[in-house]
Amino acid sequence: MKNLVLTFLLALLVVLTCVSIRRMVSGTPSFAGQKPALVAIGCAPVPPLPKPTQ
Amino acid sequence: MDGNIVGYALHYSGILIEAALILYVARSSHGNRPLSVLPYLSCLLAADLARAYTLREYGLTSRQYSYIYWSTDFLLVISAFFLVCLFFRRACLHQEKMWRFVRLLLAFICLLVVGISGLLFSHNYGNLLTGFIVEFNQNLYFTCLVLNTLLYLLLQQIDSADDQLGLLVCGVGIQFAGPAATLALFHLMTGEGFAQSLAHFTIPLCTIGMLLVWAYAVVHVKDTATQVTRRQIPVLAEVTAHFNIQV
Repeated sequence: MKNLVLTFLLALLVVLTCVSIRRMVSGTPSFAGQKPALVAIGCAPVPPLPKPTQ
Repeated sequence: MDGNIVGYALHYSGILIEAALILYVARSSHGNRPLSVLPYLSCLLAADLARAYTLREYGLTSRQYSYIYWSTDFLLVISAFFLVCLFFRRACLHQEKMWRFVRLLLAFICLLVVGISGLLFSHNYGNLLTGFIVEFNQNLYFTCLVLNTLLYLLLQQIDSADDQLGLLVCGVGIQFAGPAATLALFHLMTGEGFAQSLAHFTIPLCTIGMLLVWAYAVVHVKDTATQVTRRQIPVLAEVTAHFNIQV
């Protein structure tokens, strides 16, 4: 049980690090009023995000 | 227009390299190890073909292309995560204890990424694509980047004799780190023209770079995964023993 909790905490640390890196690198909608930049996989040109439906 | 031509050229070159690599890997009968990249390559080819068709029919700024692009990206990041898991399995082939620990860690990481992306979705309920799928894609992308880096460090630590796996991991590193680094540059330069055009071509260029490194690894580097590591270092054994995992 202790090992399970330790592994979970390590996984949480990894994921929070990843999300923080992502936020630092790509920016957030609130950062300087800019839209967040995006990364993707593949060789096709990256399209803009569709506007959210109201 | 020039940018469009270069973009199309990169897109179709990528499709050709993917198809050639799939054919080569599927037909090469010696050693089954490179087959671990086959599901990911198939997803990449299927996604690029679907994107090429939609791009030709509807155009770059259309809603249809955007939906197809981000939906197939969802499929690609999930398959990339499973590819990294397969690489971890291959790296821990002779170290069952460590694999049990890594397996549990990867399962928790997958659940946590879904949970964190879901939390953000709950604030933007009703918009599945931009609210959840893109958020999930971005989070899992950076998770794969960090996991792949950890895997590379692990390979150095255990002094792995599997040179082919090392090159495959480097290829994935190019695929993930290149766009992330360009994104950071784009952000630092506050979206200037040069950084913007660089960011536009980096994603396909890095994907093609990964495919070329994989092609070299599959064609020229011998599969030595079945050999025992060059020199057994007890450091990681001590770490896993410290956790004393009983799964």
